[in-house]
Amino acid sequence: MVLSAFLLLLGATLLAYFLNRKAAISIRAGGTQLHSLESFHGLFAALSVLVPVLAGILIWLVLRGSAVDWFLLQSLPEGTFDGLDSGASQLIVAEIKSIAGGRVFGTPDPWKTEAAERLLRYNEIADWAMVALVAISAAVLLWFARSTVGAQFRARQSAERIVLGLMMFCATAAIFVTIGIVFALTFETIKFFQIVPFTEFLFGTSWEPQIPIREDQVAAEGAFGAVPVFLGTIVISTVALLVAVPVGLMSAIYLNEFAPHRLRSAVKPVLEILAGVPTVVYGFFAVLTVAPAIRQFAATIGVDVAPNTALAAGSVMGVMLIPFISSFADDALSAVPRSLRDGALALGATRGEMMLNVLFPAAIPGIVGGVLLAVSRAIGETMIVVMAAGLIAKMTINPLDSVTAVTVQIVTLLIGDTSFDNPKTLSAFALGMMLFLATLFINIFALRIVRKYREIYD
Amino acid sequence: MNDMRKIEREARMTDTKITARNVNVFYGETHAIKDVDVDIADKTVTAFIGPSGCGKSTFLRCLNRMNDTIDICQVTGDIRLDGTDINAASVDPVQLRAQIGMVFQKPNPFPKSIYDNVAYGPKIHGLARTKADMDEIVERSLRRGAIWDEVKDRLDQPGTGLSGGQQQRLCIARAVATEPEVLLMDEPCSALDPIATAQVEELIDELRQEYSVVIVTHSMQQAARVSQKTAFFHLGNLVEYNDTGLIFSNPNDERTESYITGRIG
Amino acid sequence: MTDTTPETSGPNPSHSTTEMVRQSLARRNRKQVVLQGFGVAAIAFALSMLVILVGSLVTSGYPALTQTHVALEVFVDPEEVDPDNLPGGGYDEMLAASLGSYFPDVDMSDRASARTVTKILSNGAQLQLREQVIETPSLIGETITITVPAADNYDQLNKGLIQRATPEENRRLNDAEIARFDTLDAAGAISTPLNTALITSADSRFPELAGLKGAIIGSFWALLTCFLISFPIGIGAAIYLEEFAPKNRLSDIIEININNLAAVPSVVFGLLALAVFLGWFGMPRSAPLVGGMTLALMTLPTIIIATRAALKAVPPSIREAALGVGASKQQVVFHHVLPLAMPGILTGTIIGLAQALGETAPLLLIGMNAFITSAPTGPFDSATALPTQIFIWADSPERGFVSRTSAAILVLLTFLITMNAIAIYLRQKFERKW
Repeated sequence: MVLSAFLLLLGATLLAYFLNRKAAISIRAGGTQLHSLESFHGLFAALSVLVPVLAGILIWLVLRGSAVDWFLLQSLPEGTFDGLDSGASQLIVAEIKSIAGGRVFGTPDPWKTEAAERLLRYNEIADWAMVALVAISAAVLLWFARSTVGAQFRARQSAERIVLGLMMFCATAAIFVTIGIVFALTFETIKFFQIVPFTEFLFGTSWEPQIPIREDQVAAEGAFGAVPVFLGTIVISTVALLVAVPVGLMSAIYLNEFAPHRLRSAVKPVLEILAGVPTVVYGFFAVLTVAPAIRQFAATIGVDVAPNTALAAGSVMGVMLIPFISSFADDALSAVPRSLRDGALALGATRGEMMLNVLFPAAIPGIVGGVLLAVSRAIGETMIVVMAAGLIAKMTINPLDSVTAVTVQIVTLLIGDTSFDNPKTLSAFALGMMLFLATLFINIFALRIVRKYREIYD
Repeated sequence: MNDMRKIEREARMTDTKITARNVNVFYGETHAIKDVDVDIADKTVTAFIGPSGCGKSTFLRCLNRMNDTIDICQVTGDIRLDGTDINAASVDPVQLRAQIGMVFQKPNPFPKSIYDNVAYGPKIHGLARTKADMDEIVERSLRRGAIWDEVKDRLDQPGTGLSGGQQQRLCIARAVATEPEVLLMDEPCSALDPIATAQVEELIDELRQEYSVVIVTHSMQQAARVSQKTAFFHLGNLVEYNDTGLIFSNPNDERTESYITGRIG
Repeated sequence: MTDTTPETSGPNPSHSTTEMVRQSLARRNRKQVVLQGFGVAAIAFALSMLVILVGSLVTSGYPALTQTHVALEVFVDPEEVDPDNLPGGGYDEMLAASLGSYFPDVDMSDRASARTVTKILSNGAQLQLREQVIETPSLIGETITITVPAADNYDQLNKGLIQRATPEENRRLNDAEIARFDTLDAAGAISTPLNTALITSADSRFPELAGLKGAIIGSFWALLTCFLISFPIGIGAAIYLEEFAPKNRLSDIIEININNLAAVPSVVFGLLALAVFLGWFGMPRSAPLVGGMTLALMTLPTIIIATRAALKAVPPSIREAALGVGASKQQVVFHHVLPLAMPGILTGTIIGLAQALGETAPLLLIGMNAFITSAPTGPFDSATALPTQIFIWADSPERGFVSRTSAAILVLLTFLITMNAIAIYLRQKFERKW
């Protein structure tokens, strides 16, 4: 059905193009001078049909599911959901949907079967309504576009105005994404803070989000003090930066100043490979190789360490960040004007002194910007910590202990079936909000530093 | 002409600072400097003039081996400072550059304080034992750079905050702080306004008392004002080298004459 | 210039300078060598990490490229199969009977003792036999030769991952089990062909049956969706910002916004998709369509930034030339600038899509880590993607999944390398010096 709507739209668009083009050609054949080329008349007609109808179809597709659900809920017998929480009522809706989809388990209640039949009917109505609406609106627009054709009509300007409008819409799409993120996070976070006090979340030192979802489950009472989670993220990120910053900076210094040309052009792309490896691969690498190696090493020197240490996750994350820092530092060093290098060398500085005393200090703003972006990456990095760090939030800064992280909690709290009304799920959004705000501020700050730095030497 | 130069050279042999023989420079395929011979006298300002791209800056950079920093650049020939071959394997360019200071076309103060800019050379070479020594070197150098009075109250402020002329004099002060024997200046006034240029030229004249100064310029007026000896370069060749007065009043080579009278350049 | 005091008296300082410099030189050069040493060490560390990473994946993934199979002569017993109910036949009994012929000492009529023998075979063996019989019912009453996968433990034994030297109590197969396997091996029934199931099968709870077909198709649909959304929008946005946008506050905000969006953690995009696409719009969970939409949001800034760079690289003289012959601004862009920038745009897009292919966290949040044993037939079906499949397998306790995870990673890396190679090829082929 969706496909036929699209085909209908495509046909209408092509029809509009050729109709208007033909009309324009015949006007010109009659000896009248046209303001715009014929193909622009066609283009204008095609765009005036395509754009509004396509927008209509997309909005319809997005809202259809919710609308049909709403009608379905209205049609259910009074009192179906009395005394049920939203998890249970979602289950009922899901069951009706699976009956409608032909997957019947056991013998469902007759009212559910009826509801499923109604659902199928609604869906069918919705499909037909869409096709009908597409046909009608396309016809109206076709007629409108056809009526515009004339010698004086500025078809090129009109068509270009539509194209410009489309491009402006594309450009603002990025803003809509940001607004979407902010809204989604704020909305769920506010719901969370209605259940759990803000101060407890921000200053509490106990994090045990596994509260019972159903009455009969036995689980700990929930506690939502996020301090140990934040602490875990800080510990792991610190380990990562302790690996990445020195290694990244040293390789950048060497590649920028000392490495022979051929070595530099060979090593740089290989380092870029490290940056291109998906994080899930790093996560598995941490579990498969690094964590056992650390455990084995600790055993040989007689230290007892946790199976999933912050050290393992952090150091692998550090390896991931090496190319990030080294390419930022390399760019920053290269941006320092040649005259400064010459000035230092002409004074009799060795190349090492020139690098450490002049180039490196001059490049520090750019390097700091890069390191800050790396920090924001480290705290937002998900897969490595999900796979290699722990789940239990502990108040410790010992990198040999097992700690958890903000992103680990977000993922583990939201994996599996989720309903949006218990604090366990909502707490993930509150953590996400914190993560978003922290990275946002670091990013804005870092990008500003980097931009300022570029301006100095441009 | 050659004979005349030989006589001239012998007369001054005693105070020759740098002798260059058969110097050739290649940039990849380009032959930038062709068989240049020149003697640079001590306590004298020697000017290199010539049209753009004639190789005068390239030759200047041979004298303190700054061309080493450019990968594709190859220098051959014999250049001696006080009789020592500067391209010999035993000579460290670092040491050479401490003896031969350089000032560049565009003022290039380090993004550090004025004090640190001047103190940098003495510091890396270990010329000052104490803070007081260093203070003295910095003050002496800034006085020699003719900029002390303007900056003495703000030595801790960044050198990049000075005006163009002040920056260039700071760079000169920085260069003399390591007590070099020769000072190379690569078009030191081309980025400066006339007033700053006059100040720097005055300074160059004073520096002659202690150093051998080699200045590259494409302003003939400047060469005439500041130098005692002038070398004219054209298309990588050293065309003529003589006392400044003679070059400008009575050039031997017609190319020199054409340049001076403005027909080539 | 009253402040110059050129007349410094005393000995010529130059010679002392030369001497002092000479004395310090060795020490200073040593320092530089140390600095260079640190640099070389840092690079060596980074490169060795890469080598260890790839090396450990290859050594651990290598065994998963083959799979131990058992060849059996099976009599398709008409008494076990009802031609009217082919799927309901007793196929495991037929397999057991066939296996029993190798082990006369085992009483195959007893379920428990028969089980000790039949567990050599994968649970998929009877399904394979069933499918074969359903396809060709005329096989009933015939004796056919069928090659079926061995169970994971025996596969590991055959590959040497379970070592016979290990004491029996620490081994996952006891001596009797190993002896039975050896009997089959001696009879020539064991073979170790290339593990094509890794690519041609969908996921399974049993390592010996699990494959990546579902994940690859899921990733394909997700990437296609991602491309269809982010490519046109990204190019449109970039053209507007680079060629048409007035320099005002709004375009400044958009610019800052795009740069920031490129640095937002991926898991936050997952939260957005979960709350908006699944929560508010009621879209299906685990669908590649939703995964692709989420990835599109993340790829968008990459494509915009790459496209703007490519547009910037087209020299203004081209624009001026076209404007000079009377083209409108849009004609200039669409006829001249955009075609010239296309190789750069495509390179950026492919690199963005390669990033999207490796992205895991947002897909986990929208449920693309479900356990699904059939490949999706369209973008609305529940599915996994390659990286989420790797995550699922990495989390599975069965030993056989360790090497399969590594093998899956190698498959993912192969796709990524191919995409990047295409990007590099495009860049080099169409690189233009203005």
